[in-house]
Amino acid sequence: MNMTEFSKKHVDSCRFCWMCHHICPIGNATGQERNTARARALGISLVNRDAIALEEIIDNIYECATCSACAHTCVTGWDPVLFTREARLKAALAGALPEYINILIDNCLDTGNAYGKEDISPELKEIISKHGEKTDTLLWLGTDARYMAPAQGINAVRVMEKYAPSFTVLEDEPDCGTHLDFLIGTAEETKNIMQSAADIMNNYTKVVIFDPADAKTIKRAFGEMGIELSCEAVTFTSFLAPLAKGEKTLRDAAIQDAFQLSRELGETEPIREIVSKYAYIREFLLNGEETVWAGNILMSRYMGRVIKKVAEMRISNAESIGAKYIITESVGEYVSLKSVKQDKIGIIALENLILGEY
Amino acid sequence: MQYQMNKFLFAMILTELEDAVGRENCSTRVIDKVTHSVDYYWLSRMWADRGCRMPEADFVVCPGCAEDVSKVLKIANYYKLPVTTWGAGGGTQGGAVPVCGGILLDTKRMNKIYDVNTESMYIECGTGCVYKHVEYAANEVGKTTMHYPSSLTCSTVGGFLAHRGIGVSSTKFGKIDDMVLKMEIVLPNGDIIETSPAPKHAAGPDLNQIFIGSEGTLGVITKAQMRIYDEPEVRRFRGFLFSDLSSAIKAGRELLQKFKPSVMRLYDQAETSSLIKKIVGVDRKGAFMNIAYEGVKELVDVEGKILLDTFGKYGAEDLGSEYGEKWWKEKITFFYPGHMMDIPQMFGTMDTIAPYDKIEKIYWAMKEAVESNFPQARFIAHFSHWYEWGTMLYDRFIIDGKDVPADPVEALRLHQAVWSVGVRAAIANGGVVNDHHGVGIKLGRFMKEQYGPAMQVFEGLKKSLDPNGIMNPFKLGL
Repeated sequence: MNMTEFSKKHVDSCRFCWMCHHICPIGNATGQERNTARARALGISLVNRDAIALEEIIDNIYECATCSACAHTCVTGWDPVLFTREARLKAALAGALPEYINILIDNCLDTGNAYGKEDISPELKEIISKHGEKTDTLLWLGTDARYMAPAQGINAVRVMEKYAPSFTVLEDEPDCGTHLDFLIGTAEETKNIMQSAADIMNNYTKVVIFDPADAKTIKRAFGEMGIELSCEAVTFTSFLAPLAKGEKTLRDAAIQDAFQLSRELGETEPIREIVSKYAYIREFLLNGEETVWAGNILMSRYMGRVIKKVAEMRISNAESIGAKYIITESVGEYVSLKSVKQDKIGIIALENLILGEY
Repeated sequence: MQYQMNKFLFAMILTELEDAVGRENCSTRVIDKVTHSVDYYWLSRMWADRGCRMPEADFVVCPGCAEDVSKVLKIANYYKLPVTTWGAGGGTQGGAVPVCGGILLDTKRMNKIYDVNTESMYIECGTGCVYKHVEYAANEVGKTTMHYPSSLTCSTVGGFLAHRGIGVSSTKFGKIDDMVLKMEIVLPNGDIIETSPAPKHAAGPDLNQIFIGSEGTLGVITKAQMRIYDEPEVRRFRGFLFSDLSSAIKAGRELLQKFKPSVMRLYDQAETSSLIKKIVGVDRKGAFMNIAYEGVKELVDVEGKILLDTFGKYGAEDLGSEYGEKWWKEKITFFYPGHMMDIPQMFGTMDTIAPYDKIEKIYWAMKEAVESNFPQARFIAHFSHWYEWGTMLYDRFIIDGKDVPADPVEALRLHQAVWSVGVRAAIANGGVVNDHHGVGIKLGRFMKEQYGPAMQVFEGLKKSLDPNGIMNPFKLGL
């Protein structure tokens, strides 16, 4: 694999290092040795040495959530996400991607979402239509909420209606590149999609980003790809933190920090500020920057059983600290956690908490 | 295996294993086989670095409980297939490398926390738990395991038990064999047994101690009760600089007759001026010693006074608490790439243990043996686990990449040769083959040299429990 020297250095450091073995949410859920950063590095290093074929490891390259837990825990700064993402890009360029990944990529390019959905739900469309007029503030719902979790999209709009005097939601909101960035990284196609989204955002003074996955893309990946954003991009949680008001009634609520906000953007306090207005917080042992990813919708499309196990592990973490509820800020994590059939821990999306509907 | 594996038989065995553990927990994928072929053992790493593939298992199975393991071992016995048990692959001795192929049994699905018992102060867990996860479970109820090895995050409970591991607070809290109360084990014939309900009994030999350190050659440990402790009220650190190793060992010996610190680490001059200087910042000539003492505050106050008085008698310079606290904070940093030795360097830890009247002689003998036979090698050491009667020597050799043969077989030859002179120097002067990394395939050849006719005890156990010799062949000298 024709990787950059920079990535190769990370690969060759991680291939024989076990220090982040404990932290991978997928490895912990599956118990599979291949779901570790060192296993991925070892596999890539052997491909780089022509000892095995790229096709032998490519599935494993896509078993990584790129949640950065491994990179975050590394005291010397080695970054398994860096070479995992580059391996995906190189495999794409070499035409060596698995078919199930090619389908998702084609969907992104053809329909603007990885799921290949052509339209959003009528209910979501209806509430969006009330905010079609151009204002200074744009609420960016994201493809997961629009196509896969419309109830969350609707509730996000309702929360905004409660606390923001006026705002716009786009009926034809385009993809901002989050999924393609996950699937093939910094490809030209990803950049083009991001640029198109940025061009729309730049017509507004402020963009409130509902989905933490999109927040990472817009607030960080755009810059890394050289895409200029002239508007102020704020997360849904940081926008609402000073505004939300409520009655503190819920007990033993654990906050499921979205890694995109807590680790990638360093934003951990806004959700606490909001949740503490409605609930007594009982923190996970691993919270904030240390958070443990609880699954998403995209990976469920090709490794659904594993993602369910990931969610089950997080619910088990909540049980072991004596929590009764998990409050999510990520659409993907909410859907993933809700997919687990259990009655011990209540799963509440932040927007539902604010609306008192749970 | 006395027969030729063929495609038909391979498929038959595969379906039986899938039936035993579930299809998704049984793999013949290249990624799984390759991943389990390289552990922390330098030779396996070097082999992979040279673009060679290490011996791989034919089947990788991930059982979820003792019953699954039992089924797998019954299949393995029937087909006479080798079984190599794998925890998390953090071992340094090649103990988990499936050198004979066959079945690789990965224990990490057996990662359930069954009971956090704060009355009797133990956690019962599957041995596939990474130890850090046991620590998390303890922390969630305000307790701790007091087991803090550098491999805390990358080794399983079973791995520590199988090779008799140790953590940095061992001087006060003991080795892994002091931390386990009870175990569940699957014998090679598939029988599931439990050791006695409590340790420290007089109901015959201690079954725990027969299987601890057996490195998967006598069975598979599937469940264990591991001790937990109250968090200490206070943990204090004190760094000292000794002018020479000899006075430092004497000071340590005397201190152990009075009380037990938790951490006690003495670095020779070579390691003080290299690793300790780099990570902790002690830029002085001499032998650095770091002490941590902890527990109930009133006791710790008294221990601090005893420590200063005792070390003062041996001319130790008190460096205060700063370096010790830095060491504690960075205690795992030493082992990350960029700080730790790594390929292309050749290196190894030849840890041994002996009573006080022999340990210093062993240090000098090993240093002399390595440095005189291999002038290209550096030799550094520290003494990090102390007892009232003796201490262990954690000595390492390092050969820079330019002096390591590119040819993998020649590199292997040099590696074996360095180990041979080092370990034989230890044995000849009253040391043992290894202190806490185990034996694996790396040191198996020295077992008979150390034990002589006593080796027949191990061989008898092996023959009785594993008559087909399927369990982790060519490890532990068995």
